Amino acid sequence: MISMDSGQRVGAKSCHCSAKDFGNELKPKWCAGCGDFGVMNALYRALAAVGRPPHEIAFVSGIGCSSRIPEYSTAYGFNSLHGRALPVAQGIKMARPDLLVLVAGGDGDGFSIGGGHVPHAIRRNPDITYLLLDNQVLGQSDGQVSPTAQRGARGPGDTYGSLEAPINPILYALAYGAHFVAQGIPGDLEGLAKIIEEAIRFPGFAFVNIQSPCVTFGEPDMQVLVQKTRMKKLKAEGHDPSDRLKAIELAQEGGKALYTGVFYRNPNPPPSYGSLIKGLQRKPALADSEAIA
Amino acid sequence: MKGAVIGIVGSASDGILEAGETLINAFAQEGYFATLCTHKGTQIRGGEVSCRIRVATTPVLNSGGALDLAVVLNWEDYSRLSGELIIGAETVVVYDKKTGLTAATLPLGGVKPAAAVAIPITEMAIHAGAPSQSKDCVVLGLLAAWLGLPQKKILESITARTRGKADPSPKVDQKAFASGIEFATRHPLGRDMALDRATATGGRRRVADGNEMCARAALFAGCKFFAGYPITPATEIMHYLQREIGKYGGSFLQAEDEIAAAAAAVGASYAGAKAMTATSGPGFSLQTEVLGLASAVELPLVCVNVQRGGPATGMPSTQEQADLFAATFSSPGDTVRPVLAPTSVADTFDVTVEAFNIAEHYQTPVIVLTDRDLAQCKAVLEPIEPSQFRIIDRMEPTKAELKKYARFQITEAGISPISHPGMRGGSYLAAGLEHDERGVPTSSGEVHAQMTRKRLSKLNPLKQRRDLFLFEGDPDAHIGLVSWGNVSGITREAVRIARASGIKVKLLVPRLLYPVAEAVYEDFFASLRRCVVVEQSHQGQLHRILKMWTNTPHEFMSVSKSGANRISPHEIVKLIQAMEQPATDRFRTHYCDLLNVI
Repeated sequence: MISMDSGQRVGAKSCHCSAKDFGNELKPKWCAGCGDFGVMNALYRALAAVGRPPHEIAFVSGIGCSSRIPEYSTAYGFNSLHGRALPVAQGIKMARPDLLVLVAGGDGDGFSIGGGHVPHAIRRNPDITYLLLDNQVLGQSDGQVSPTAQRGARGPGDTYGSLEAPINPILYALAYGAHFVAQGIPGDLEGLAKIIEEAIRFPGFAFVNIQSPCVTFGEPDMQVLVQKTRMKKLKAEGHDPSDRLKAIELAQEGGKALYTGVFYRNPNPPPSYGSLIKGLQRKPALADSEAIA
Repeated sequence: MKGAVIGIVGSASDGILEAGETLINAFAQEGYFATLCTHKGTQIRGGEVSCRIRVATTPVLNSGGALDLAVVLNWEDYSRLSGELIIGAETVVVYDKKTGLTAATLPLGGVKPAAAVAIPITEMAIHAGAPSQSKDCVVLGLLAAWLGLPQKKILESITARTRGKADPSPKVDQKAFASGIEFATRHPLGRDMALDRATATGGRRRVADGNEMCARAALFAGCKFFAGYPITPATEIMHYLQREIGKYGGSFLQAEDEIAAAAAAVGASYAGAKAMTATSGPGFSLQTEVLGLASAVELPLVCVNVQRGGPATGMPSTQEQADLFAATFSSPGDTVRPVLAPTSVADTFDVTVEAFNIAEHYQTPVIVLTDRDLAQCKAVLEPIEPSQFRIIDRMEPTKAELKKYARFQITEAGISPISHPGMRGGSYLAAGLEHDERGVPTSSGEVHAQMTRKRLSKLNPLKQRRDLFLFEGDPDAHIGLVSWGNVSGITREAVRIARASGIKVKLLVPRLLYPVAEAVYEDFFASLRRCVVVEQSHQGQLHRILKMWTNTPHEFMSVSKSGANRISPHEIVKLIQAMEQPATDRFRTHYCDLLNVI
């Protein structure tokens, strides 16, 4: 029987898991030096801290290098269609509000083919955590430019470089009204784990942009070690995460400054989509046979 | 009369749709059987509208052919909807005197109706106090008197209706109704239209359309998740479930597009809930990728496609049966997904319940191909007997199986238990990538062949489901028809008429369109020398699919019309008569002339 009770809002730990309990025996297929290894490790640390057991987690992805993460996890995984991870995840969360629902995918998956779904996930505000592993390229298909690539960035068949301006994921999420928006890098594993943990604990749609570099096709100044030297922690900069306008201002430096930490966290989060739906469901539920009476 | 086909046409503000509702409800209460089909010329409110009501003392199989009685409030509106409301030589036409035309000048393209009578409908409505809103009440008064309907029921219905801010007082409507009755009593029609008494009272019968029956069936089958995006003519399914599903502990999503709707439904199914989406052609084409995913990850999903005229935006409010190829073939890759089609408004309930059962049992997407006329036309329906139905839930792993669980385990039947999140030990990866038994993505050709075989062969038992076919007529007949969906109601009536005249003929109506149940067809074809598939698409899509899979009779023909062109029972009777002719050439010429097909 499907339980409709507890939400993703996690209080007390329901298991004493360690990070390694969330990874399985499969060896990831990523290139050596890929940022996704670090992201995966940070995520498992965050999940261990949150304390929900793997079988109570639904981990959804689309298609692309980073969308392979669920394959390497002991959680329930759904490696769905290119760009469709968010709708699949919302269906899962609506059917089973008690599950912890995570979405991971790349910038191409989320902002190119799946771009139409992002604003609607944000405005519905389901209690889902969305990890965008941004590397500015379509890595799995040979490094074509992605929608977050800077103007002039070159793909494999590209003589002149991209003629298009990049999408700024942080600014985008803030503009559509996301209540939790953060950024992290795998070079700062501990910081990233904390950010992901906070995102999971946030009662509503939480967006974490992760600058997860592509070692094969990515720009030199985006690689893990370089990122670490470029990063500016928002907390150290004195940013107040309840200040949405300031968050928007900082987000506009995307592509130049590399801020990490929480850009915006709504101090008074509105009800999540799931809790609004729960209010509409009649309890006790009618028997199905009454449908025809 | 044992029955009648009545058409009413005018402008949207004339209250014609309300008049149709009032009539079918009154018929139902009095124990008659009836159908009500409404048409709007445009999607925008304010244009021409019509309703076609067929009433009879015995069950009504379709909405009929040419009208017995036409009520025309405006001839310009009629000319735009004349394809739906055919006036023939037997039709009695009454029209508003205000149109200013004489019987000789009616725009009927040379057809001479049985009678044409100008009646001061607008004048009577004005006299009652409110012209535009009360015209339909005058019409209802006329019809109540001519057809011999109980006036009390209609009056109650008129009094109960509300029409928004411009609502005239009920007294005005009542007065208009009374003036209609009075006029009709003083001016009987040339042809006696009084209906025979119904043999029983309406009892627990209800009036509903196919979309409502589909939505009800979903709840009855245990659907706990619905996602959709508005689209004509499927939207009413969404509206119904939006309103009702929460009462049964389920949830509803109006998605940003049809892809998201189907994807969310697959997500809900992954989480363990019975899930459905409903759309029409343009949305169905978007859902193709998600249907492929559901096939790959072997998750139950019911996808309703209420067919309309296509391709692209096509003709949103019209009937067509041209999405069979799309339903059958539109996924990339080597895959089969069951396609079901209801044969009547009532059958939409049964078929939708069966769609859930098949989806859950075989772990597959199932497409329910209904069509505009079934979906949006109302009918008087017998009460549903819940005990007649079996509800099937998906197979879940036992505790022992969860100890060493492989989600896509190769089994003899091809069906492997599905775990869902929350089950300890059941974690697996559902991947659209080809995967092995444990769900791990692979590029092995051997595994791909094995998994493809699993996914296809598990559906084979469906082909033995004779209960998914309706049969009618003489088992040893030499001539036979096959038809599906809404058109099957027309062919059924035609076969009955032909048999009553002494012709030996039979009819097969598949509710399972795909996979093709070769054995069922070949049994049906065994006695046939000549078989015609009657359907509503230019290409004759079922005809072509049957040619791909079955050994068809020597003469296996297609009689088909593009959507929005009515096929009448009378035309099919003529077809059956032609099929009896010995010479093939004559038959060929005859049926081509008959239905304008090449």
